[in-house]
Amino acid sequence: MEINEQLIKQITEIVVKQINGQESGNPHPQNPKTSYEGYPQAHKGTDPKEVVIGVGPAFQREIKHTINGLDLKDVLKNIEAGIEEEGMVPRVVKILKTSDVCFMGLEAAKLSGSGVGIGLQSKGTAVIHQKDLYPLSNLELFPQAPLMTLESYRKIGANAAKYGKGEKVTPMEGRNDPMVRASYQVKAALMHIKETEQVDKNIPYIEWAEV
Amino acid sequence: MNYIAGVDIGNSTTEVCIAALENGRLHFLGSASKMTTGTKGTQANVAGILAALKEACEKLNMSAGDISLIRINEAAPVIGDTAMETITETIITESSMIGHNPSTPAGAGQAVGRTISLGHLKQGNSYTPYIVMADKSHSYEEVADTLNRYAQARNVTGMILQADEAVLVENRLERKIPIVDEVRYIDKIPEGKLAALEVAMAGSGVRMLSNPYGIATLLELDAQETKMVTPIAKSLIGKRSAVVIKTPHGNVREQILPAGEIYIEAEKDQTVNIDAGADAIMRALSKAGDIRDIHGQEQTNVGNMLARIKKGMSTVSDENQEEIRITDLLAVDTLAPVVISGALAGETCLEKAVGIAAMVKTRQLPMEKIADELRSQLKTKVKVAGVEAVMASLGAMTTPGTRLPLAILDLGGGSTDAAVMTSKGTVRMVHQAGAGELVTMLIQIELGLHSRNTAEQIKRYPLAKVESLFHMRLENGAIEFFPDAIEPKYFGSVVLLTGKDMIRIDEDIPMEKIVAVRREAKRKVFVTNAVRALQAVAPEQDLKNIPNVVLVGGSAEDFEIPEMLMEKFAEYRIVCGRGNIRRTEGPRNAVATGLVLSYLGDSHVDDE
Repeated sequence: MEINEQLIKQITEIVVKQINGQESGNPHPQNPKTSYEGYPQAHKGTDPKEVVIGVGPAFQREIKHTINGLDLKDVLKNIEAGIEEEGMVPRVVKILKTSDVCFMGLEAAKLSGSGVGIGLQSKGTAVIHQKDLYPLSNLELFPQAPLMTLESYRKIGANAAKYGKGEKVTPMEGRNDPMVRASYQVKAALMHIKETEQVDKNIPYIEWAEV
Repeated sequence: MNYIAGVDIGNSTTEVCIAALENGRLHFLGSASKMTTGTKGTQANVAGILAALKEACEKLNMSAGDISLIRINEAAPVIGDTAMETITETIITESSMIGHNPSTPAGAGQAVGRTISLGHLKQGNSYTPYIVMADKSHSYEEVADTLNRYAQARNVTGMILQADEAVLVENRLERKIPIVDEVRYIDKIPEGKLAALEVAMAGSGVRMLSNPYGIATLLELDAQETKMVTPIAKSLIGKRSAVVIKTPHGNVREQILPAGEIYIEAEKDQTVNIDAGADAIMRALSKAGDIRDIHGQEQTNVGNMLARIKKGMSTVSDENQEEIRITDLLAVDTLAPVVISGALAGETCLEKAVGIAAMVKTRQLPMEKIADELRSQLKTKVKVAGVEAVMASLGAMTTPGTRLPLAILDLGGGSTDAAVMTSKGTVRMVHQAGAGELVTMLIQIELGLHSRNTAEQIKRYPLAKVESLFHMRLENGAIEFFPDAIEPKYFGSVVLLTGKDMIRIDEDIPMEKIVAVRREAKRKVFVTNAVRALQAVAPEQDLKNIPNVVLVGGSAEDFEIPEMLMEKFAEYRIVCGRGNIRRTEGPRNAVATGLVLSYLGDSHVDDE
């Protein structure tokens, strides 16, 4: 299949049309921004067994499924299970100051008692981060969200916990599909925009108990 | 002024040394070392020689054409190879046990009960103790809920899970029980059988099930049955979790594979069975005297192994397989982790194995052809001069603090060679199988590594464990901090320190285990071989008659082998140490230096 600008334009138009259609025919969907004022700001953990999962601003509110349709509830549950099985304690915070997965992961790591955190965008992209690393560096990055499964999220949790314990970690086998970019580029961009719209610089992060 | 170059073609590296001759005195100017191109002794070597000469000349601001004489060694016509064969096999019959090391079992302790699947728990009764088995179709929540529901109605004492969810289930249970997880073939465990389950406390192995009387206590066995379960207990030593199931004929059996016999054709012919182990083989070898050939019983493991070595050699040396003769062997006992047949959780068992290095004598290598090729390419005089061991001894003499009689030990990749030069100038020498490559193979087998390359690197470099982004613990226990945060890919890993950078080991093996295996492999090969080789060349076969031993060759550069040999030879009051050729070269370049030195002693009629 040849991909050119025109084709992408066409696809974009169709997708935008469909999404607008879903939004009960509203021609200019302007998602009302959720305000998290009054929510408890996330605290810095002191438990060395803690691994913090930092989810994106639109997580479980504006976006409820990952890019390939996994329920975010199940995704979170599996990451938590992976952490718990390794004997560590999961905690979830919602990062509001940014929608960039690496910065989210770093914020989560800085809040985490073990210094290891997971950044999880609502579309499913994830990263394992450590508090002393540069933002764009990381321990493990899982960039191709459309290829993720619940098992791989479980494994992300387990690996993050192992990093937290200082154990030898075998990085997850990377899966790669060159067609993913073409098939999901538009959807990924739209989901990312939806997430970025919820960014709130005034409230950096809050505790997130919603499952 | 005349420039003379010495060229040493080795199995793995080609070394050159350049000296200037002025008024009958030699001044050493420089040296270089390059990878040997092609098999030692073939014309393909010329490329490597030229590259090494060029490098040495560039350092001296001259061109290879300025050299007036090149001296090449008469390379020793031996090539070595290695092979390994397991000689025992462990089989579990009737799914009688599980013993593995899941990373996270839960709830330390022991339990006894009848095996029952989660689905059948409803049909059970309230007075029988049960060990519940759940396959991975049940989620941890479902399993925990079911167990909590039956907490009063059923007596569940322990649990076996297929998925890696022991901690998850245990955290949700109202009454804590020991749980073994990651049992891959859970469906093979029979239901309704009496079973004993144990999860060890963190940091230790199972205690009850690795003890025959412990099993007897838990499963109420009589004396006869207790005797039967001894192999099970033995195979569970050191495991983090274990299950023993009482079945009428279930057991663990160690079977000795028909490994075969080795036939040594020599002054006194010898036959030795591989099962007897490495020591017996080496004893037979030393009894045999001068060896003509060694071969193995046909259609057996060792027969195939030796045939494979000969076949490989005939390809390398371009000779008929019938003409290839193995003239020396080094056998080493080792343990290889092998998956147990009939295992339920993919358990491995350390099976006995024998590693063998064999050495093959080939006909004289065609060094003259290499000399011709060099002559035509460089338009300079090239001479094939001297036997390798003699040249190495000459070169080794340039190490400060040595005197005659002097012994050299050339620790190479394929063979360990020894030579003794007496004060009268006579030289005795011996080539023996087993050196660096055998060490690499032993490391690879015992650690169960996938790549030979990783094993080679483990052999070469010291280890460290990266404990944070800012520091690591070295294998001697010291802590070292990094000036800057380290790359995250090393986080938590065991790494090799090459001096320049770090190499991550992908396998999950504790640093202490790697160190132990590495040191043991080096000791088994090099210490055994060094003593054997020196005994063969020592005057009156007595090591005490050798005052100096100089270690040369690639493996003498190793960071711990010279120390091991030093410790060993201290027993015989021998001065032993890593050579320092011409005070500058370390253990390398001995042969090339010897070649240049020997020019002074030669009659130069043909050179004029």
